[in-house]
Order: sequence, then C-alpha cells, then structure tokens
Amino acid sequence: MNTKCLHNVNSSKMAEVHIVGQIVGASGFPDHSLFCKWGINTGGAWKALAGLREGQTQVDTPQQHDAAYWAHPIDIHYATKGLQGWPKIHFQVWHQDSFGRNELYGYGFCHVPTTPGMHEIECPTWRPSGSFKEQVSQYFLGGGPQLKNPDLIYSGADRYRLHTIAMGSVHVRLGVILRNFDKYGIEC
Amino acid sequence: MSQSSVFLLMVGGQIESAEFPDFDDIYCKYCFTFGPDWLVTSGLDEGLTQVTKKSRDDRQQFVWNFPLDITFKTTNPFGWPQLIVHAYGIDAFGTDVVRGYGVTHVPITPGRHKIRIPMFVPESSSQLQKLTAWILGRRPEYVDVRVLAQGEGREVTRVRSQGFLTVSFNVVMKDMKKLGYDVIPSEMSTSVIPESVGPNSGGTTET
Repeated sequence: MNTKCLHNVNSSKMAEVHIVGQIVGASGFPDHSLFCKWGINTGGAWKALAGLREGQTQVDTPQQHDAAYWAHPIDIHYATKGLQGWPKIHFQVWHQDSFGRNELYGYGFCHVPTTPGMHEIECPTWRPSGSFKEQVSQYFLGGGPQLKNPDLIYSGADRYRLHTIAMGSVHVRLGVILRNFDKYGIEC
Repeated sequence: MSQSSVFLLMVGGQIESAEFPDFDDIYCKYCFTFGPDWLVTSGLDEGLTQVTKKSRDDRQQFVWNFPLDITFKTTNPFGWPQLIVHAYGIDAFGTDVVRGYGVTHVPITPGRHKIRIPMFVPESSSQLQKLTAWILGRRPEYVDVRVLAQGEGREVTRVRSQGFLTVSFNVVMKDMKKLGYDVIPSEMSTSVIPESVGPNSGGTTET
C-alpha cells in the first residue's frame, strides 16, 4: 500500500518531514452519519516519498455523543529542497443520509505544524451558502452549492466572491518529525 | 564513516480503562502494526486482556490495567507503529460479539502520554441484516484488523462509534537525534523543563 515514488538513500541528506497522526473526528455539525475526504497539498519543491496523500474516511454514525469519530491514520514521508509550499491538509466533510445520498457539509484546511512534536488541531469548516431560494430548497431537499474547483479550499485566490456559512470543526492529531532541518540552518 | 542508521523506539504503557455505557463483561485483544522497515526486537506485539465487568458506581468504568511493553528497531519513521485494540463482549445469548475497534499511533515524542481512543463497530448494511446479526450473534466484524491501520479501503465502510478506551504510553527513543531526526522543537532540547514530561532522552545535546 506504500507508494514509494523515490527511494531516498541516507547519503543525499535532503531535509525530510514525516507526518504521523490521525483524523480523529468532527464535531459541531448539524447531523450524524459523516465522512471526510482529505488530501495533503504541497508546493513544487516537495516530493512525497511514501504514504497516501489523499483518502476518504469511513462513515460514522455515533451512538451516544454528538461528534463523529473516524480515527483515520495518516502517515506520509516528504523530502524537500525548500520551505515554500509547506504541506497543507484539507478536508471536505460530507453527510450521508439513510438513502445513501451524499451532501456537502463543510470545507476546511490547516497547515501541517512546522514544529516537531505532537499537535492537536481543531480545524474550522465552512460551507458555501446560496441565494435565499437555494437555502430554502436546501432546508427541505438537502443538497446545496459546492465548489467547482476544490483548490479554493486551501488557496486564497478568488475567495472574495464566495458567500459562506460556518459549520462544525474537524479534529486532527498530528505528529511531525523533521530531519536534517538544523543542517540547513532552519529553526523550528 | 560507518554509522549505524538504526534507531530504537521503546514503548511501555497500559490499556487502562474504557467506557461502554450499554455493555458489560468486556475483554480486549490488541496488536501493534507497523510498516515494512520496522522490526520488533523485544516484547509482545499481540495479546489478550482479562474479562472485566463495569464498576457499580457512577463512573461505570471497565478497568483492565493491562501492561504493554514492546521495543522496535527501524531505519525509517515511515510506518510508525499503531496500536489496534478490539473489545469483545458477551451478548444476551452468551456469544462473543465485537463491541468496538480502536486505533491510535504510538506517540512520536518521548515522555508520558494518555490517549482516549474512540471505539467503533461496523454497521450492518440493512435492517434485515441487523436483525439476523442480533439473533445469531454474528455481528459484522473486520476479517483482518490491520486494515484499520491503513488509509485505504475504509471509505466503503459504515460504522457506529460507541464508547472510549484510555491507553497510556511511556515512549523512549534511542539514536533518533544522531540520525538527524527532530521530534521536539529545537529550543526545548537544550533547556530543562520543570514538569515531569522530560524531553531529555538521548542524553547528549551536541551541535
């Protein structure tokens, strides 16, 4: 299951980043039965050596509590020649109803932490809100506007035209291991 | 020029307790999964706990206090070990049914960590299947639990989360800093932290 694009030998001494953690779950959404599509996006100088860069969690319907729990593991190994384009992890939270229809519940992203160690991150999410007519039909029928280009989740380029509404938050527990960063004089 | 490219990870800890509000008489099976570059040098990577009942007070807790002790050797942090715990209980008809699966990574920083893992069970795909499962005591289970430690193949499963499990870890590493890996921020590795979570493993801080 490991996609080893490049077998990196010790002697090359590139700066490396390991991201080891899991998408724990989400809370604050209006309904249960949620799943999450996630992906990690980096700049051009970064190369993924091993691990999956995107995926989709299971659908969770919690028994007692309001939060959904996925415990989806993330294990990625990057090598990099520059700091630009530090990895960002983005999420799309979807709701699956009893008929099997999927409805978008939120978009969110956060930067992978730059300091080594364990981090608990709570990433807020938002959903595009349509016109008043669309909001009424969304209330009765479900569905609703989605982004045509999912790059907008983690880029600021054309956001000024969007109207959005806040949704719940995604909880992530990430561990970051850095290698050889001090040899290049990077303090983090 | 020959330097060892291996570092060690020693994990001690315990499967402490759990909360399952609806069930009683539960035991756990656990296993550690890891990537292809990892090797277990000592300790057990699988085991079975005792069967315990819920406490009769307000906490309604299941306590196992089950020791975990394992040491890994590896050349590459990719495939960092994960602990998979599956809890089984006895249903109304006396058969063993699965009460929850939980998975978590072993923490990557040295020190003491206490983690609360949510436990979930796969759901039957239809109401009829749910009824047959309840009558026959054959609930949906994972054929190979190690699929929980991978990121693929989980998107087609529907689960129901019920309950939490508390695990504590004590993590020690050897030679990670020598190989150039940083698991704690650089300004912390040269100062002394007054609390009990000490990052002073590995001893020497040479530049």
